[in-house]
Amino acid sequence: MSSVSEILAIKAMDGLYLRAAAIAENIANSNSRSFHIQTVDFEDALRQATLRGPDALAEFKPSLQRAAEAITGGDVRLDLEMASASATSLRYSALSDILNRQMQLNRLAIRGGQ
Amino acid sequence: MEAMQISRSGMDVEWQRLQVIAQNIANMNTTRTAGGGVYQARRLVSGPVEGFAQILSRYPGQPAPPKRGVTVYDIAATNAATQRLFDPSHPHADDGGFVTVPAISQAEEMTLMIKTTRAYEANLVALSAAQQIYSSALQVGRQA
Repeated sequence: MSSVSEILAIKAMDGLYLRAAAIAENIANSNSRSFHIQTVDFEDALRQATLRGPDALAEFKPSLQRAAEAITGGDVRLDLEMASASATSLRYSALSDILNRQMQLNRLAIRGGQ
Repeated sequence: MEAMQISRSGMDVEWQRLQVIAQNIANMNTTRTAGGGVYQARRLVSGPVEGFAQILSRYPGQPAPPKRGVTVYDIAATNAATQRLFDPSHPHADDGGFVTVPAISQAEEMTLMIKTTRAYEANLVALSAAQQIYSSALQVGRQA
């Protein structure tokens, strides 16, 4: 694994962590008046940063956005938030699994296969 | 993640459809709206995120756009007829003593509601299946 893909995984985990925080905030504010639903859309920006090179990738920071309101109103939808929360946590664990396996390989190489 | 996104959009649209049906049932006796006329039953019009014209205009070999699923196109009033009831004491009665009330069929709305609920459940099951597949894929290569 090159240093780019390692930092890419870490940046993606940063984005997913922020998304989990945004979901928690949405659920916590589900009964608050004049609250705007927050989302984190970082995948496209992350892909662009990766294409520009390692420096752009290192400076990448995911950000919160205001979600577009549905035609029936901008209420917080608990079912959709839960669906997003579970997708986010699944992807987070997939990325941490990949990093874990990479570290296992590194450990194996340091020990010389012993 | 595509399958989960699609099921999520389905749940979103069916929930909004339920909201429109609830609005119709709640306004069954509404004789005057803010716009002036009698309440007209509404229907939620939904369809694929990527329309037929967009699919046609894509040249062959071009990758599909990342977002797929279903989306709300519009909430449109039906052209259902209204009914006129003779009720001269009603504040909204016209000169002849008739009140115009919406002809919302309760059976039709309930049927649509059941259909919407079933569609929502089906989307939920598809979402759970996608989550299950994804989490079992995480187990690949793990030692038991």
